[in-house]
Amino acid sequence: MKPYALNDITLMQYIMLINGMSVSFGFIEIPGMMATKVGTDGWITILISGLITMAASFITIQLMKKSPHGTLFDLLKQKFGTWAGRAAAILFALYFLLYAYDGLIYTVRLIKGRMLMETPAFLIMLMLLLPTYTIVRNGLRIVGRYAEFAVFISLWIPLVYMYTVKHLHVLYLLPILKGGWQPVLSAVPGTLFYYLGFVSSIILYPFIKHQKKAPIALLIANSLSILSYLSITLICTMFLSPDEATIIHQPAIYVLKSIELSFIEQVEGLFIAFYAFIFSLSWIPPLYFTVFCLSWVMGRADHRIPLRLILFMIGTSSIFYIPTYDELEKISIWLGESGIAIEYAAPSCLIALLWIYGRVKTERNQL
Amino acid sequence: MNVRSWLRRKPFSHAANNRSASSVAAYEPVSYDLEENLQVLRRLFTETPDMNIRMIPIGDTGGQAALVYIEGLTDKNSINNNVIKPLLNASGPFNHAVMTVGRMTVQNEWASITSNILKGNSALFVDGSAEVLTMGTQGWPQRAIEDPQLETSLKGAHQGFIESVDQNIALIRRYLPHQELKIRNFQVGRRGDTRVSMLYLEDVAHPEIRQELQDRISRIDVDVIINTGELSELIEDNPYSPFPQLMLTERPDTAASQLAQGRLVVLVDRSPSVIVGPTTFTSFFQSVDDYSTRWSIATFIRLLRFFAFFVAICLPAFYIAVISYNFELIPVKLLLTIGENRGSVPFSPFIEAIFMELTLEMMREAGVRLPAPVGQTVGIVGGIVIGQAIVQAGLISNIMVIVVAFTAIASFILPNYDLVAGVRLIRFLMMIAASFFGIFGIVIGLMTLTGHLIALESLGTPFGSPFAPMRFADWKDTLIRAPLWKMTKRPLSVHATQSVRQGDNKPEGDGS
Repeated sequence: MKPYALNDITLMQYIMLINGMSVSFGFIEIPGMMATKVGTDGWITILISGLITMAASFITIQLMKKSPHGTLFDLLKQKFGTWAGRAAAILFALYFLLYAYDGLIYTVRLIKGRMLMETPAFLIMLMLLLPTYTIVRNGLRIVGRYAEFAVFISLWIPLVYMYTVKHLHVLYLLPILKGGWQPVLSAVPGTLFYYLGFVSSIILYPFIKHQKKAPIALLIANSLSILSYLSITLICTMFLSPDEATIIHQPAIYVLKSIELSFIEQVEGLFIAFYAFIFSLSWIPPLYFTVFCLSWVMGRADHRIPLRLILFMIGTSSIFYIPTYDELEKISIWLGESGIAIEYAAPSCLIALLWIYGRVKTERNQL
Repeated sequence: MNVRSWLRRKPFSHAANNRSASSVAAYEPVSYDLEENLQVLRRLFTETPDMNIRMIPIGDTGGQAALVYIEGLTDKNSINNNVIKPLLNASGPFNHAVMTVGRMTVQNEWASITSNILKGNSALFVDGSAEVLTMGTQGWPQRAIEDPQLETSLKGAHQGFIESVDQNIALIRRYLPHQELKIRNFQVGRRGDTRVSMLYLEDVAHPEIRQELQDRISRIDVDVIINTGELSELIEDNPYSPFPQLMLTERPDTAASQLAQGRLVVLVDRSPSVIVGPTTFTSFFQSVDDYSTRWSIATFIRLLRFFAFFVAICLPAFYIAVISYNFELIPVKLLLTIGENRGSVPFSPFIEAIFMELTLEMMREAGVRLPAPVGQTVGIVGGIVIGQAIVQAGLISNIMVIVVAFTAIASFILPNYDLVAGVRLIRFLMMIAASFFGIFGIVIGLMTLTGHLIALESLGTPFGSPFAPMRFADWKDTLIRAPLWKMTKRPLSVHATQSVRQGDNKPEGDGS
């Protein structure tokens, strides 16, 4: 009846999976991006794109309501045949793989750039794959629990940023909309990139324990993402003067330099290291989804086989080649563009398609 | 044979290799003729000088009876006074009612007779009868009940389990005199034939978990189980993990309190510790004293233990990371002090730390195995070696000695020995990770550790509860120890069928 019953996840885990996937490294990147593209009004952009995301994720849930006991692929298979399901599964597998790879490379580059300049990048990559394998091989439940736990033990992050409050200048925010709406709106598509990840609902939905509450969970997850982006962007815009903000690389980390504690000399080193828990959410869940899609294509085989293959491929390829920072940005742009297509556009198209398909079918029956 | 198939648990039966020469007659019925029976008996028990056969005339009928038992496994007083004496005094035909023994069974198959004899019961063969009476005359040397060795407690009871399963069940029953406390017996081991008893509260313990444990125990096919630790390794969910997923305790009060929470307890005959399951990671941080000290103090101690857990795992690794990679983390003054101290040390921080930690481990292990009078020497030698001398010789820095001392103390705070053993192993892995990647290595280590702990299961229930999956209701007895009257429900992690365990007990004092 319910093929995925044994692997169900709680609403909290669902929230944390979606939230963790979208926030992860966006938290570090978004203030800088807002400062260069929008200026001090970045928070408006974040709000607008957050609201768009909420709408899009509700559409995804509407789509999934048609299939409470199966993933999107099961739905497509049932409506349009096996090959439609397989094609979609492969498409999503590629998308999530790109997502995970982007997250991995970002983390490797950040760790190498900020902490371990001398260490070869592939060693860092191999280290990252170690916890990845430990967690992903155990299936969705464990991934969900990990996401939940990782977010909870990262609750110290807001506390750390509280220390910066005394250096903030509210005046930097004024005047609001000094450049008009144009820069604010033009940055929205780029910002959507940092909200990606909610499309994982198409796989998660049948696993959720209380499916009726899924929209509320999505609301909470998206609000949490918006809240974290808003707060970090506001802190950074109020901390740095508008001119400074455009020059400084990754202001979210720079801000921490103002913190003085008697027992730690530099907070940001420790911050980056322990932030790895949040970073890991940008590749551990997507990697699971990738191997889920692949094993679905192969007819629900053991998901550990594709997992080992993929990790082996990522690991060995990293010995020969790891994208540089500039190449990483290109990957991110690809991911952003394909993300807008897959996460924001595809679900509504599918709903329309299913609706038309339903109409055609009933009409045919009437004839 | 490759490594994988070697590691995998094989469904392998060694029944075929286990046939002994004397077991040929084992399933034959007993004969009516006493002489014939005694001959079979002598054939079954060759080279058994401790077996005693006592011929007893039956009243004035001229018939004979033979009492067979193994000396040393039986209680002489009981045999002399309750079996032999009444039989000799009785007159008329054989009447089993004259024997004043509590447990008496009738057997007619050789297999059960021999096993009864070997377990300390005595068997009475009567001429002209194909039925053999076995009598519970067991009695062997036993240790007196003593204070538990491994889990000492300040305020808890001072009775620990001993090597007899019946006594141990009695010790638990004293805490829970309730008819819902059920006992299920298993016989494990082909040669050892060890009695394994599973205790549970019928109306509280989750039936599926119970069934799971039952299945796992009955699946065991070994020669003999000497100790509880062996059994727990055979029934654990993930035997490759360094962390125990079933708790071993030698305290009856702990076992009783776990039973009352809805967990299962497994006792193994001849072993003074019992298995408690299903457990969670946090239950290894609980001690029986927590519930008898004031709750605020117990909470403080709990937090201290969790802190100590991280210190015991990370501190030497953190030292290595800070000295070799991330010196920007610690205050300049401290860095200068460390630099001053380390100036004369010829080794890298990793070698320094590994050397000291290994020395500490060796001393600890030496202290465990040595007899008490010699054991003191270890303390003195160790105190001198890892104390002042090694620093003065310039081999190790002062700070490293402090770090090692801190870690040692931190690991001694943890109340469970098996957990500490896991922690010690993880510590070395952390040190290796830190020596290659600094703080980042530690974080990756912690991440892998969390991933591992989250993925572990105990009898099919999540080991990471109540943190992963998050169950806030269970937090009352993990990081903190809430007042007893607040814990009105059993922990969610045991999936008890009756969740409420007490009513409103809040004391009505002035302070409320």
